[in-house]
Amino acid sequence: MDHEKALGGKIFTGPVAFLLLLFLVCAYFLVIRYINGIGTVSNLTDHQSWGVWKVVGVLVGAAFVNGGYVTAFLVYIVNKGQYHRFVRQAVLFSLLGYSFAATSLVYDTGRYVNLLNFFIPKYMQPNSALFEVGICITAYIVILAIEFLPGLLEKFMPEGEKSDNLAANLHAFLNKVLFLTVAFGVLLPTMHQSGLGALAFLMGQKISPLWQTPWVSFLYVTSSVFMGLCIVVIIDILYHPKSLKNQEYLGLLKTLLKIGVYVAIFWIVFRFVEVIRNGGASNLFDVGFEFIFFWAEMILIVIGMIMIRKTNARSLFSGAALMLTGGLLYRINTYLVGFEGAPGVTYFPSVPELMISIGMLALQIAIFITFVKIFPIISQE
Amino acid sequence: MTIKRRSFLKGLAGTGAGLSMAPLLTGKAEAREVRRVQDDHVGMLYDATKCIGCKACETACKTANKLELELDPTGTFDAPRDLSTNAFNIIKMYNGPEGMSYVKRQCMHCVDPNCVSGCPTSALNKEPNGIVSYDKDACCGCRYCQMNCPYNIPKFEFNDWYGEIKKCELCRETNLVTSGQPACTEACPAGAVIFGKVKDLLVEAKSRVQKSPSLYLNHVYGEKDGGGTSVLYLSKVPFDKLGLPNLPEYSQAYAQESVQHRLYQYLALPGILYVILAGIAFKNRSGHKED
Ligand code: SF4
Ligand code: SF4
Ligand code: SF4
Repeated sequence: MDHEKALGGKIFTGPVAFLLLLFLVCAYFLVIRYINGIGTVSNLTDHQSWGVWKVVGVLVGAAFVNGGYVTAFLVYIVNKGQYHRFVRQAVLFSLLGYSFAATSLVYDTGRYVNLLNFFIPKYMQPNSALFEVGICITAYIVILAIEFLPGLLEKFMPEGEKSDNLAANLHAFLNKVLFLTVAFGVLLPTMHQSGLGALAFLMGQKISPLWQTPWVSFLYVTSSVFMGLCIVVIIDILYHPKSLKNQEYLGLLKTLLKIGVYVAIFWIVFRFVEVIRNGGASNLFDVGFEFIFFWAEMILIVIGMIMIRKTNARSLFSGAALMLTGGLLYRINTYLVGFEGAPGVTYFPSVPELMISIGMLALQIAIFITFVKIFPIISQE
Repeated sequence: MTIKRRSFLKGLAGTGAGLSMAPLLTGKAEAREVRRVQDDHVGMLYDATKCIGCKACETACKTANKLELELDPTGTFDAPRDLSTNAFNIIKMYNGPEGMSYVKRQCMHCVDPNCVSGCPTSALNKEPNGIVSYDKDACCGCRYCQMNCPYNIPKFEFNDWYGEIKKCELCRETNLVTSGQPACTEACPAGAVIFGKVKDLLVEAKSRVQKSPSLYLNHVYGEKDGGGTSVLYLSKVPFDKLGLPNLPEYSQAYAQESVQHRLYQYLALPGILYVILAGIAFKNRSGHKED
């Protein structure tokens, strides 16, 4: 059986240094933002007041990390034990991703200290999809941390059959109540993903019929499923260069992606039905900005699905990457391309604004790389 | 593009019903109740045909609410270009094939406001008198209100280290307290904008249209538009030309909350799901304790 092992190796490598450098640039702009306000570093305006920070940071960031709940669902609910090896790395990735989403809220919101009001009963506003998203992110970070704890504890457990210290006891206890956390870990992201879509519905006609529908929440949940599966496969391939010729291994990945393909086909059909039902049929062929971005989504996903039919590492990897990109584009499109605050208002992020998002992402990847070197996360054969 | 967006959501009026998750739940889950203007709600009636474009209301609004002047290049004239964190009220002008008209813009104090429905930390509230108020101590600055307000009313202080949302609150803490009516209605020399109970203003508006049908469109904007607003408009020039969008007769907040309430009614669905999931995970537990 596979077992998770710490990868070891030097911590401070070239790539890590580069990622940290990106983060330094980001930190510089963050300082300016905190002193002089959001407007001084970003291109956000009253007519387009959500930009890359919220859309890429929170929406896309959160989508990136669906691997955690999708694998947990497969392993613990559908009882597909053979996927167990994917769980830990997906959980770590999800944990970092959600923390990333939460931190982007801290620099995106103008009155960040009042984010605490999310937890003060007198200010809670359960009708708000944004409130739901905030609460779910926080709760899910806690759940993921608990799911992830065993990996950390193993580092501190004495070798051998009958280990008996604090870490080992806690480890055993966590394993016992795992089913409680896992159930939360599956339920919360589902609610949370649907909340991310629901945010769009309240914007009504400001969003083009190519993206606006009362079912947008549902579309966000379904797209998160295939995106989650893709991300799991992508990370796994990156960390198992030796297995890439192993047919059994590739078969395992392919089965995962196949589930993703079925979900994606359903999703695409649903998308088109909704566009037409909401009177957007003519928008489908109205050549322009929205047209290009809508079809780019579809084409990326369809090419991805076709590539996955071949069982070799390269096709599986690129197929998954294309489908993931299409799914991410869908989220960006809903709020940036499809959103028109006022006629003629356009938005493109400024360089500092982009650097802040990129820098925070770089930091997250650096942390992931470092963690898997120190702690037993990635399974090795 | 805007044209195409105008009315596509009208077809969704039934979507509350289209999204019938009801059988999934208690079998009796219903869309949220429809909110209507209450008898003691106050608001304004703006009659574009009477407005002379003098901008006395702009000045009065700035004075009453202590807003900074936005001077023109000569430095002698307060010349806001649009609503902003320093202009809660603005007079604009349309001149086109449909004729010429002024229009006054400020918060509409919607009957069922999107901004209130979406605000995660209860910073925006529909007060008992119908005014949509803002509380900076509650606001986290997420700017969701800007994204969902159909009239683009809330403005954010982007160049402040700890900015606030700014918008018309019907002078609830300023002129309404000192003079019993908003500064803009008090200042208007032409009687183009008047203050009162919404129900009375609606009667007044309808009687004006009835008395001189040739002077007005047969439409009191805000009676039903977007689920209704506490600020009503009369005009000869089509309202969308004046920047008041064509909205369905229900509020998007109503549509959104109906969908959401169906899903989460009494948290029953998530609760049931949790128990089922935990049960399955418990049953499967032995399968892969420590592979
Ligand atoms: S006009 Fe906009 S800001 Fe004013 S109450 Fe309506 S939704 Fe809120
Ligand atoms: S910016 Fe403030 S008032 Fe507006 S929705 Fe967010 S918390 Fe509410
Ligand atoms: S009611 Fe008061 S705040 Fe609102 S536009 Fe009139 S003067 Fe300005």
